[in-house]
Amino acid sequence: MDKVVKEVSQEIKEAADRLTSNVSKVIVGKKETVELVLVALLCEGHVLIEDVPGIGKTMLAKAVARSLGCSFKRIQCTPDLLPSDVTGIHYFNQKASEFEFRPGPIMANIVLVDEINRATPRTQSCLLECMQEQQVTVDLETVPLPRPFLIVATQNPVELEGTFPLPEAQLDRFLLRVGLGYPTEDDEGEILSRFQQENPLDNLTSVIEAEELLEIQKLCRQVYVESSIRSYAVAIARATRSHKDIRLGASPRASLGLHLASQALAAIRGRNYVIPDDIKYLAVPTLAHRLIAKTEAHLRGRSAGEIVGEIVSTVSVPVEEQR
Amino acid sequence: MKLGWQKGVLYVAIIGMEGCWLYALMALLNKQVAGGCLSVHGMLIVYPLAFIFNMLLQHLRCPKACIWGVSWLAWALSMLLIVKVQLFGDLPLLDSAWLLSVPRSIVEVIYTFRPELLILLGTGVMWWLGRRLSYLKVDFGALVSEFQFGLLILLIAFFAASQLGVELASSVPMVLTFFLFALLGISIAHALEGTSWLSGLYQGHWSGLLLITISLVLLLGLLISAVVTPGFLQLAVAALKWLLGLILKLIALIASLFPEPEPAELPPATPMPEMEPSEVFKMWTVPESVRSGLRIGFYVLWLGLIVVALWRISSDIFSWLRRKLAGMAGAEFESLPGAFRADFLGWLKRICLKLLGLRLPIHLGARTRAILPEVASVRQIYRQLLHWATAAGWPRHISQTPYEYLHALAQLMPEVQGDLDLITEQYVRTRYGALLLTKGELHQLRQSWRNVSQNKLKKRGKYKWIK
Repeated sequence: MDKVVKEVSQEIKEAADRLTSNVSKVIVGKKETVELVLVALLCEGHVLIEDVPGIGKTMLAKAVARSLGCSFKRIQCTPDLLPSDVTGIHYFNQKASEFEFRPGPIMANIVLVDEINRATPRTQSCLLECMQEQQVTVDLETVPLPRPFLIVATQNPVELEGTFPLPEAQLDRFLLRVGLGYPTEDDEGEILSRFQQENPLDNLTSVIEAEELLEIQKLCRQVYVESSIRSYAVAIARATRSHKDIRLGASPRASLGLHLASQALAAIRGRNYVIPDDIKYLAVPTLAHRLIAKTEAHLRGRSAGEIVGEIVSTVSVPVEEQR
Repeated sequence: MKLGWQKGVLYVAIIGMEGCWLYALMALLNKQVAGGCLSVHGMLIVYPLAFIFNMLLQHLRCPKACIWGVSWLAWALSMLLIVKVQLFGDLPLLDSAWLLSVPRSIVEVIYTFRPELLILLGTGVMWWLGRRLSYLKVDFGALVSEFQFGLLILLIAFFAASQLGVELASSVPMVLTFFLFALLGISIAHALEGTSWLSGLYQGHWSGLLLITISLVLLLGLLISAVVTPGFLQLAVAALKWLLGLILKLIALIASLFPEPEPAELPPATPMPEMEPSEVFKMWTVPESVRSGLRIGFYVLWLGLIVVALWRISSDIFSWLRRKLAGMAGAEFESLPGAFRADFLGWLKRICLKLLGLRLPIHLGARTRAILPEVASVRQIYRQLLHWATAAGWPRHISQTPYEYLHALAQLMPEVQGDLDLITEQYVRTRYGALLLTKGELHQLRQSWRNVSQNKLKKRGKYKWIK
């Protein structure tokens, strides 16, 4: 590995540290979650934050957007939200006597789709093209979305009344699913202290510009992945397809996501090569939400995350032979 | 479960399995080559003796070459002792006749195969097997390989015995003993690795369940052997013949319904004029030696096709069984795709390398990339660390990454944590990052490995994966 790539990895690490510390001014004690969101950002993936209300999901998305100096829009999903409310519409401008396109909130660098499972399947489906192809088609006209483009969707796993569970195709398009979890006692005290006078989000300034982020995204792809590590990622993804408790295993998109995410994580941690620990660390956030566990497994109280953890603990890590 | 007796049982299982097929092979050779004048039991003692002797030698702090020399010297002495006891019991110990009989048997191998040579070769193989076992890491994979290999050798020995008309004494108890050791060893190894049902719900009663299972399997085998007697087989063959006769009669009956064609008179045969073969034809005439070679090649091809067909049929049967077993409630089926093929190819490769005495770049089934010497050194040191820690009773679990394993090792040996950190860090860099070390870094790495290897890690007496 040449010197240039080494320096590049240090640059990425510095940028990542800047962003993490900036977001940490608002989000207290959730460095791992912030790191995962950053991973998704560097891979041009999308994040699904699943947790109970009041944890800071929206705050995290806003803090990341502010730190990047990118445009930010929010879509509050409700059952009466229409696809045109998301993508935009062609309206008749009487002054100009012609149809004009009015872009929807999706036309932003960072889009917070709040409580995504409250939108109807029809509205949820309009996000499929945006998430995968980074473009939107309205009335036969295809409009590219601004770059970088990141969707941060949130959903509440507890309150299921009046919600529409996300279809598999939609879930598969999220690179990572993360949870924030309740803060520790000390962290909660720190939150109260920080928010006593004013909201720290208001004073948050951007630390990375959109152009710099696009450059970093390109550099992340250069992180070296040894062939055995690639095989290890594939082995984990393939193991989900033959596990006795899983009805639908991980797709090739999932293994590709795991591969890309591991490159981004390695770069964020200042390495220019991926190690098995990166794959292991990312296996649950990358794969668990894409799997469908069998009903028997659900009844036994096993979650997809647990099953992925079990798979990871059985797949052989590429290390030297002991004999 | 304690490490001592578990490992002991695994070693006993392998010794038992290998002992069974060695006995069958030696008994066959004894009858066929030496006219049954040798005591196979007497020769078999060499095998456990070699294992114990080499185990003891490992504890000596001597160079490897010295240990190797002592080991093979001990073999030579035990071989001579067997020759003396079994063939020249009446000669005095200082008589040179019995000592010279062994080199004479080697010289005269072109004319005749003497019993001394069988003792020489037989004890040599047994000593090598015993020595190999003393260095072998006994786990589930090793037990399965031993079972597959042993079964193959047993089948070959029985087949050869039946073809040569040699009566092998106590073959049924031998097979039962072989399966007893195989089942015992494989099930214990499986339970030790924590993937067996024995380590789950029934952990408390595992030894009892294990014995019951093995007893049931053996009982079933005995029942089948009691039912499937030569008389029963003859009866089955007679039934098949009767069925075939019936079908032939039916065909003849159907054929008789059609009118037979009237035989036409053939014209008288005209004699062929005697002609000399043309020069071109003579040029293309294949010599007899080539035809013989082609004939052999043809037979080999047919034999190969039959073997492939048999392998295909058996693999299909196994696949069907696997599907059936996978559908059973509560059953766990462990598939080992390509294990036998890989073992067989690996065995052939090792034999070739041993015979040639060279490390030729022969790659059967898999290709490996050339590794730079610096990278090879780092990987070698890490391999040594793994081997050393495994021998000390703290093996790496297959799912542990180098850093996870480092964390576990560092808890056991905090005094050399810095050295362990360095070894792991450099290994990870070279292995996954394709980064080369400088000479200074390599020297430092070697020093760290020396520090670690000199550290005495006490055995904890528990054979479990460190987390």
